[in-house]
Amino acid sequence: MTEIISAYMPEFIITVFIIFNLIASLFFSTYLYKLSKWFTLFGIVLAIASTIYLQIEPEFFAFNATFLTNIYTVFFKILILMSGFFLTLLSRNMIREKRDRAFEYFSVFLSGILFAMCAVSAVNFIVLFVSLEALSLSCYLMLSLNKNPNAKQLTFGYLVQNAVVSSLFLTGVSVIYGICSQFGFDKISLYLLNANVESSQPQILLTFSLILIICAILFKVGIVPFSSWLPDTFEGASHPIGAYMSLVPVLACFAVLSRILMTFLHYTYTIKIVLALISVITITFGSLSMIRQENLKRIMAYSMSVQSGIMLLGLCVFSVYSLSSVLFYLFCYLFANIGAWSAVILLYNSAKLENLDDLKGIIFHRPYYVIAFTIILIALAGLAPTSGFVAKMYICSAVARSGFIFLPFLIAALLASVILIYGYWRIIRAMFRRIETDILIDNSVISPKFILYACSAATVIICLFADKMIRFCQLVAYYM
Amino acid sequence: MEFLSLIWLIFLPIIAALIIMFPRFPNHQVLVRRFAKWFASFHFIYALFFLLFFDTGMYGMSYEKELTFFGMSWLKSLGISAKFAVDGIALLLVVLTTFIVLITLFMSKMHIRSKHKLYYSLVFLLESSILGIFCAKDMFVFFVFWELSLIPLYFLISQWGNQEARRAATKFTVISFVANMFLFFGMLLLYYYNFAVSNVLTANIDSLNMNEKIYPLWFQITVFINFIIGFCIRVPFVPFHFWYPDVQSKASAPVNILLAGVLLCTGVYGIIRFNIQVFPEIFKLFAPVLMVWGIVNIVYAGGLAIIQAGIKKIAAYAQISSTGFIMLGLACLNTAGFNGAVFTALASAIVYSALFTVISSIQFRTKTTYITSLGGLGQVMPKCMHLSLIICFCAIGVPFLMMFTPKLMVLTGAMLSNLEQQLLVKIAAFIGLCAIIVSAGYILYFFYKVFCSVLLEQWKKVKDLSVQETSVLSVFCLVIIYFGIYPMSIVQIYQSVSSIILDILQV
Repeated sequence: MTEIISAYMPEFIITVFIIFNLIASLFFSTYLYKLSKWFTLFGIVLAIASTIYLQIEPEFFAFNATFLTNIYTVFFKILILMSGFFLTLLSRNMIREKRDRAFEYFSVFLSGILFAMCAVSAVNFIVLFVSLEALSLSCYLMLSLNKNPNAKQLTFGYLVQNAVVSSLFLTGVSVIYGICSQFGFDKISLYLLNANVESSQPQILLTFSLILIICAILFKVGIVPFSSWLPDTFEGASHPIGAYMSLVPVLACFAVLSRILMTFLHYTYTIKIVLALISVITITFGSLSMIRQENLKRIMAYSMSVQSGIMLLGLCVFSVYSLSSVLFYLFCYLFANIGAWSAVILLYNSAKLENLDDLKGIIFHRPYYVIAFTIILIALAGLAPTSGFVAKMYICSAVARSGFIFLPFLIAALLASVILIYGYWRIIRAMFRRIETDILIDNSVISPKFILYACSAATVIICLFADKMIRFCQLVAYYM
Repeated sequence: MEFLSLIWLIFLPIIAALIIMFPRFPNHQVLVRRFAKWFASFHFIYALFFLLFFDTGMYGMSYEKELTFFGMSWLKSLGISAKFAVDGIALLLVVLTTFIVLITLFMSKMHIRSKHKLYYSLVFLLESSILGIFCAKDMFVFFVFWELSLIPLYFLISQWGNQEARRAATKFTVISFVANMFLFFGMLLLYYYNFAVSNVLTANIDSLNMNEKIYPLWFQITVFINFIIGFCIRVPFVPFHFWYPDVQSKASAPVNILLAGVLLCTGVYGIIRFNIQVFPEIFKLFAPVLMVWGIVNIVYAGGLAIIQAGIKKIAAYAQISSTGFIMLGLACLNTAGFNGAVFTALASAIVYSALFTVISSIQFRTKTTYITSLGGLGQVMPKCMHLSLIICFCAIGVPFLMMFTPKLMVLTGAMLSNLEQQLLVKIAAFIGLCAIIVSAGYILYFFYKVFCSVLLEQWKKVKDLSVQETSVLSVFCLVIIYFGIYPMSIVQIYQSVSSIILDILQV
């Protein structure tokens, strides 16, 4: 019993707050709607606290060994909860418009976070499937909040494609079950080890099914052959939901992806090359598409795709060192991405600015805002005095370390990242354009501004104190 | 000398930039400018103290200092620590940087008309990053500052230049990032194969020397080429030079001075620090190629300088041509050549920033830089003419002026060089000698057209130099004459470094 409490406490707290939100939505949905935000924030802080303090022992299992918590899952859960904390603050203006839906919105929001956390902890394909599906479901619900008919059309593609991909995932899982009659990760990997010794007959089918599963996960993080849904969906989504979709599923899916790759596919060399190739293509294609976009949300969508590509390049090496570099990259990506979205949200909330052309000459009106946004974009581009540089350097060093065969991919990715830099540079250039306009950025909204300044400070501070975080990431990667 | 800390030297400008950007700092141009000038003067004097207490006989680096964050070194788990130290060459470049920044700030008053806070803080950020490049003892710290310097440069060029400056700045930045990626790739390779061979995870430049370790030759050549591409764009050497005249003709005048005086030295310093010190064998292997490259540089850029229509472009191509002498001197692989190369870098930085100062004064008064629409300004600007006569003679290489000694040293080095291809060496020295005559051609053409020919009607009311400009140009002329008469005062500072490098090269 105590083990279940230790393993499942944060999820339990989030569940309780979901139910509270639902009950509250029956009573004070139109008035006291502000309560919902504080309520949610309180729940998330409580969950973070319980995650940190209950996790004393290295490992806990729950629910018949389908649910694992260790330092690896705790790391990801804290990242997810932190992004949930920031996103709650960012959705302030949206819930002010839809005050009758505030409590419902936050219950869906929290359930997304809950299932992301479950997906991180899942060591069983059934649990994993249910969590990922429920995460997608909460995404559909939040996407449908935008009442614009155009938005419905744009986001419908996501629903359809996600359904197809879920069927791929299920196919993979059922084939695996057909071969090993198991769902648990540890048992399947044990079977793989034995099969390796005895005969190589089911090996191909197994690899094939695992590739199907990996494809389904790559779809959710926007790697290239599966990234066609990204720009449209992001354009159709409201801003906080775009921020949500570029963070929470990415964090959860990278936790799952690295676990699947490390557990099952460490024996194959071909898949490493394929993944490296895919990631380089993603970086190139995403950056090239990004420099042609005018809408900020579409730019952020391609930015998410490219960042996932960089992380996949780090992940495809399959070593503890490279995993730690990916963890560190995720940590830095969280702050930079949240900061960028908060800047975009600030622009939208103040004067409905969505396109690059609208940004002309903001430097004259809000110089500090522009400087903070510039720092964050520099961090996303992976340039020098910010956390993005350290993260990029760490990932590239992990790739360089892993052998000559990856070096062509590394130089290709580095050269493609110049296009990425140009893609972010366009936003900076637009803001610094020397044209007098009369844009007014709303001063009254505190939370996005606070997050913007905090994140831009955080990117610089992480760069300076990166050593501690890197050590921690190495520890986490070692215990996975 | 506890008060002489490189950390303070590097990061004081950033602190100044933050003070200027601070919201409470008054947004009043006179106050901002005065603060910046006072600060830069203080910083220059502080840098001079380093020179004063520098032990010229010391073998290796001095003033070593590590930047720690509450006792932790930066990225210790990756073997990277923010250590800073200077040798003779680096120290001279540091002093040069602070000097040029001071001059730039004195010249900024006339040309910078908007966004004063942003401008002065960006100049300080650039200064800080360039000082970091010169002082870094660790490869990745070097790279951090190397990339950091691009960000203020982009804004300095694009925000205060003319209408086309944004395009030129974007071109420059994108090209530099491509070069940086090659550089970064080379650094990563070096970092990990050093780890694979010696089992020590370090990025310290001194411990990466390839001499003692057994690397495959192709690997060394790959890394060497990556490095040299990264640095050549910054210097700039010929096939990669196209951004420089473009940027120079479009940026505003103070930025011209900064680019000519500070930026180009960083590339030369990178070549000395990495391509020579880390890969001595490969450098020896490539020396004939580099020598030909240097000659091509001198001749090609000199030829382009003759046909330019804008005075800024003439000066820019002249500077590119003079960087060819640096490459020629380095490729000689002897003391005279090396000393001459380093001296050329310093001298061309000072001379061409002085030339750009003259050009900025002319541009401010006439609002044009086309050589055909200028003429006879010597009649209305006599002070300017006399001072720029000294500068132009120096750029040609007239004796007792600063540029004479380094060119002499480089050509002597080329004559005495012990490379196997003796014929090539002699031809190179001869062409270098002839190129001086060509340089006399275009510099004197510039001088004649601007100051001596018939005075055009529209320039009859042009005023002569103000007190501030006169004093700045006089300081430049004094520096030029002093080091022209007494060149050993510079050479003796980096003598020990050149002996170290020649030891490494084993020649």
